[in-house]
Order: sequence, then C-alpha cells, then structure tokens
Amino acid sequence: MIPLLLPAKAEGSTRFVTRLIGSAFEHTNTEDSILIAESGGRMVFSGQHGLIEIISVHDLDGDVVCVDPIRGSAERLIRATSPHNTLLITERCDQLCVMCSQPPKKTHSDRFAEYSQAILLSPNGKTIGLSGGEPTLYKSELFALIEGIFAKRPDISFHILSNGQHFSADDIPRLRGPAFENVTWGIPLYSHEMGRHDEIVAKAGAYARLMESFVHLLTAGAKVELRTVLLQSNTVDLPELARLICTHLSFCVQWSIMQLENIGFAKRRFSKLYVDHHKSFDRIAEALDTSELRGLEARLFNFPRCTVPTEYRHYAVSSISDWKRKFAPACNSCTQQAMCAGFFEWHPDSALEVYPL
Amino acid sequence: MIRFPLRSRAIEGLGSVHANHAGHFFISSEEASTRLARPQTTAADLAFLQQGGHVADSEKSIAAISHRFQVLARDTVPHRLDYLILVPTLRCNLSCSYCQVSRVNVDQAGFDWSPDTLSAILRMIDNLPTDSIKIEFQGGEPSLRPDLISAVIEQCNRFAEKSFVICSNLGLIDPAFRNILSRPDVSVSTSLDGNSAIHQTQRTKTTETTTAFEKNLDALIAEFGNDKVSALPTIDPNDPPEIDALIDAYQSRGFGSIFLRPINYQGFARKRHPGSRTQQESWWSYYDRFVARVIERNWSDKSVLLEESYLALCLRRIFRPGLDRHVDLRNPNPVGVDYIVIDYDGTIYPTDEARMLTRSGVIDLSIGDVIVGYDTEARQILDSHSTNHGDPACDVCVYQPFCGRDLIDDLSRYGRIDLPRLETAFCQKHLHIFDLCMTLIYSGDAAVQYSLAKWLGLAGDRLPSQAMLT
Repeated sequence: MIPLLLPAKAEGSTRFVTRLIGSAFEHTNTEDSILIAESGGRMVFSGQHGLIEIISVHDLDGDVVCVDPIRGSAERLIRATSPHNTLLITERCDQLCVMCSQPPKKTHSDRFAEYSQAILLSPNGKTIGLSGGEPTLYKSELFALIEGIFAKRPDISFHILSNGQHFSADDIPRLRGPAFENVTWGIPLYSHEMGRHDEIVAKAGAYARLMESFVHLLTAGAKVELRTVLLQSNTVDLPELARLICTHLSFCVQWSIMQLENIGFAKRRFSKLYVDHHKSFDRIAEALDTSELRGLEARLFNFPRCTVPTEYRHYAVSSISDWKRKFAPACNSCTQQAMCAGFFEWHPDSALEVYPL
Repeated sequence: MIRFPLRSRAIEGLGSVHANHAGHFFISSEEASTRLARPQTTAADLAFLQQGGHVADSEKSIAAISHRFQVLARDTVPHRLDYLILVPTLRCNLSCSYCQVSRVNVDQAGFDWSPDTLSAILRMIDNLPTDSIKIEFQGGEPSLRPDLISAVIEQCNRFAEKSFVICSNLGLIDPAFRNILSRPDVSVSTSLDGNSAIHQTQRTKTTETTTAFEKNLDALIAEFGNDKVSALPTIDPNDPPEIDALIDAYQSRGFGSIFLRPINYQGFARKRHPGSRTQQESWWSYYDRFVARVIERNWSDKSVLLEESYLALCLRRIFRPGLDRHVDLRNPNPVGVDYIVIDYDGTIYPTDEARMLTRSGVIDLSIGDVIVGYDTEARQILDSHSTNHGDPACDVCVYQPFCGRDLIDDLSRYGRIDLPRLETAFCQKHLHIFDLCMTLIYSGDAAVQYSLAKWLGLAGDRLPSQAMLT
C-alpha cells in the first residue's frame, strides 16, 4: 500500500495546506514549501508556514499535503504523479448499503476550505475524485467548491460519487453551467427491481428518488456514470438491468459493473455477498452484450483480467486505485499485469486465485 | 399513463414490426397486434410496453424525458466542417466502362487545381474551426498529382487528429506517391470488382494493367498490412460476379468488409441503361444470396469475419442512435455543413454524386466556389430539403428513426425530389435492407446470430434476445 498519511513535524499549532516542491517542480506559488534537505527518508521543506520535516521514502515532489503540527502528520491530499486522488467530503450518508466499503459516521468535519486550497495547487489537467459518505448532503458547499475551482482552474475535472438522492429541479440551471461540464457523477443503481435496489441500499423509496434525480440530471445535460456492485442478490438481475439502462438511462456515459470490495460492511458479510464471477459469468456476459449492442459503454471494475473469459476481457479495466491495489504472488509472471485491476489490498487471501496470462 | 406512438409494418414470415420514434422496436404476432390497436390493451401488454420504453407514467417521469431525449438523439446534429473531399485532378490513366463523367484523359491540360485554387484550399484548411480533420482525395486519379496531395497534407500539421484517404486505382505507384502512402495517417481506398477477369473487363482492360494493379495492391498490403487499404467492388447488376469468387478476391487479401454496390449510372448513362423492376428484383435477390453466403462462411470459418458493409451499418443504426458520420445514411442529411466536395476547378458540391450529376449536364448542383465561398442560396435551398421529417410516407414508416435522406439520388434518378417516397429507389432499397435486418435479428439460426453478434461487435456468439409480444 502507498501510505497517504505520513509522520511529520511542523512549527505552530494550526493545520495548513502546502505544496511540496522538490527538484522537478518549479516554485510557482507562495503556498509552496521547498525541499531544503533530504537524508535517510527524512525530508525538510521550507515555506511560508516555516519548516516541515516529513518522513517518507516516496517521491513527494508536487504533492499537496495537509500538515497537522499537533497530530504530527502530513496527509497527502493530492499526489502529483497519481491518477487516483480522492477527497472525502463527508462521512455522513443517508443510505446504508449492505456492502458499503466506507460505513457512514454521524459526525461531519467540514474540510471544503482545505480541499479548495489543495485542488487549486494540483497539477494541470487533474481529475479529482470527491467521495464520502454522501457528498450531496452538503450540496451547496459542494456546488460552490466546483464553481469556485472552475473560475480559477478550468483545467481541473471532478469525478463525484453520489447516491443520487438529493438532486432537485432547482439544481438544473446551476448544473447546466460551464463548471459542471468538468464533472462526472458516479451514481449507483443495483437492480431494475425497485424493491431489490431499496433493500440493497437499505432505504425505502431510494429507487424512486433516484429515478427522479435522473430526470433532473438528464435535463441538465449532466454526465453520469452508473455503478453496479456485483452481489449475490443482484447478479441475476444484470441482463434486465442492462435493458433498463439502455431503454431509460441511455444518456449515461458509462456503466461500471464492480466486483465487491472486502472492507467496511462487506468484510463480515463477504461470503453472503461475494459472487465468484470466474465460476459463473453468464449474466455478466449478457449484460455486457446488451450494453455493447445498444452503444452503452460498459466496464468491469475490480475484475482481475485472467478471471474474465477471453472474449470479455477487454471490458476489465485497471480500476483499483494504486494506493490500495495488490497482486497475487503468481501475478508476477503475467504479461497483462500493467492493464489489470489486480485486487484490493484487503481482498481475502482465500479468493486470490489467478491464471497468469 | 402516456403511450408513445408506434409505427408498424408487416414482414412476411416474421409478423409485425413496431417501433417508436426513439427507435425502440419489437415484433408481435397478428393476435398481439390486434390487441395493441384496441384501447383495452391487457396489463401484461402494458408491462411489456413499459419495459420496452413505449409508455410512461407521467410527462415528468424518466421514461417520458428519456423518450424525448432519445427521439432527438436519432437526428443528425450537423457539426462543423471537418471532412473534405478533394479532387486535385480530373485526369485519369484508366477508362472504366461505367465512369462516364468524372474523368478526362491523362494528357489533357486544364483539369488540375490552378495555383489560385490550391492556395484557396490551403487557406480554407487553415481557417477550419476544428482540431480534427478527415480528407479524402478523389479524382480523376489523384496520384497523378502527389505534389498537390503533399501540399494539402502538410497544411494539416496543426490538427490534433487527422486522417487522409486517397482513392486510387493503384495503377502506378511512383516514388512520390509511395512516400505519401508511408505516412501512418494515410490510407488508400481502391476498387476491386472481383477476380482478375472481372476486374479487367470492367476496369483495367489489358492483362498488363490488371497485373500492375494487382501487384501494387498486394505489395501495399504486404508492406503496410491490410489496414492500409480498403477496397470496394462495383457490381454490374445485369451480370454480377459469382458470389464465392467475389468473396475470395477479398478474403484472400485479408479484406473482410465488402460494400456491395451496383453501378451508379448518372445522367445520360442512366438513360442508356434503364432500370426496370425486374432488374431491381434480381439485384435484391443477388444481395440476399450474398448476405446468406457471408453468414454461412462466417459460421464455417470463425477465423475470418466477413460483412456486407452497408447491412452492418443499417444494423448498427437500428440499435445505436448517433451514428451519423456515415454521410450516406443519416437524417437530416445536412448539405454543405460538415463535409463538402471541392472539384478540380475549385467548384464546391455537397456530395460526390452532385459533382458527377452536374458534370453529366443534368442539373447544376454546385453550391459555391472555394474562392468566393459556399454559404449560398443554392446550398440553403438544398439543405432545407435534406430531411425525411415531414414526408408523408416517412412519417408513418416504422424505419424512420434508422433511415436517412438522399435528395441528390432522387434528383439523379427522377429529376425531382417530390416523388412519392415509396416509389423511389432509395426508399425501396432501405425497406428491403431494414426488413432483412429485422428478419435476421429475430432469426433462431445460430449461424445468423453469430454473424449479427460479430458485426455488432459483441463478445458473445448471439444477440441478447429482442422484444417479442405474443
């Protein structure tokens, strides 16, 4: 795993956001801290917040960190060289999905100001993931963040994971604005059956509310990626779900069928939720064929390539963020590792069967 | 509850095919068709219609909004000009039997771009408000002027995405032409009418010329791979080649895609070769046999995928809205918006057929000139008739969401554009092909399903089952 929270020392007592500048990056901003000494995994940076000492063996050049002198930590909010940068907007959520990888908490700490500073310091053309919890619980702050960044950094794009329970007709004029052309909403839909979807997200009426949100998103011309986590309860629904999407939700730019992440709620329910797609791929295959036929871009997320039948392998993309990805020992001999999702760091060792290609 | 309008058509041996304006379709038995026509449709019928995108609970439901969105998505949204068909010279070193109008002899003067025309074209390229471009060089034989081709290609350096197709008879590949062909963004489109004998009869005339063509074609494929070259046959409908021989001429060169086109007579030539109803029937019977043979061959040898390109296009348009860059089949089919033809003398035409029709003396379909511009009244008049919306026959046709409009073809055949649609060759052709598509889609034959799945790019061996109301 690539560590996102590094031990650090800094002056003062207030948290601050700064960009770390090593050799490659040019010093372009007063928020920057410049590397002045480095030895044995210890780096010392100097900037307007004083001296920062960070312990890391990783290259931090261009990274944007949030330094907390009291906790003695530097949190890597934006890693300059990684395509996977996600900021957690809140840990609150109004759904309680059976397989939630990040179970919600009641408390919320508002980090919009820090995130805004960090994004403004990120490298050109980055896509920033915003996640939760449910980011749209703080819709006005979220929209303000997106518009504020767009005004200063129109090169930045956002990918926002949302349960789609909070879009209303009033949002349409705003969502039509130029700032939202840089936004893709990743929204889960688990079944074509209303009852099954509601059961999986543990919220009565969620499906109906989601469909209402889709009306507003379509009307606003929003970019939506649909996401379906593969579960024992909904695998059988995939072909019908594909038909529903192609018939009623064809405005969506992508449909991602996602293999289960063994963390959060899924950890203690893994055997009840997990589907071994290597043993039975028929429903997934039919869903992919339906999508392809109707011109809907479908993808398999978190499916190691060798576990997918050859003809369908091109749908399996390298989806797992680098910092939480692992491979099985046998993967070292595989020629397709660079294209492969691999496994989540916390995937059970009992389900690490691979067939190197 | 809102029911979206359905249009229907009976197909022999299949039942009725129904489709809404968004292009969602199903077939039904005669009994089910009768039920649908009555107000008291059963609850099961309504559930079926709901699933297929044919009903909505309210105006504000996702089904209703999505339906409106998908109806609009069936229309071509004309983009900016980013596709040029250029004719640097009208001269040609061949004299094909059916090429009556678009060539002059190789030694005739005054049929190449003048320096003024060239510089106007280069200026136009500079001013295109796009960062992607596709240019097709037509003729005449464009390879007679590699200098003009190079000048155009060099002017395109600024484009992020660019591709060039040179339509050549491949009779002669001199070093300058070869040099152009070695660019990765350049490909060749050539004519290949079948085996050597047929190609020679229709095009190359002498054994020497035929051999030179085949040697050049095969050398190009050997050096650059068969992606470098695409080939099209032109078929004499009165004397079509033996099907397997035609396919073999293509397959042996690694070409899987065959666009089966009958000779397109223009102007006087059409009058010399009057098309009768029997001729039409024999052509479509040949076409159907060709498709059936392609399906058989795909099934028996899965290492090769053969397709009839136009059938594959029609199939894709049935399932996927928005495939509008194929300018032969789309609706509306905007004139002089996203692509134009610039002739050897700088005259601008909306399509290559319009250029030939003008040269044959039937009607002047030019819309302008590369020096003075082409946003002319002529362009606007043509453009305002470039849609099939509002045509009384098209507006009740089940295939309207998939079909297109070709007013140049109407002008070429009938000298007018207001003929009852069903009497036009364009309409008859598309009814035939879309009927064939539907018959294939609902076929239970594993070989048919295999070809369909592969033409449509599916990983599986058959189409997912399509809606059927019994």
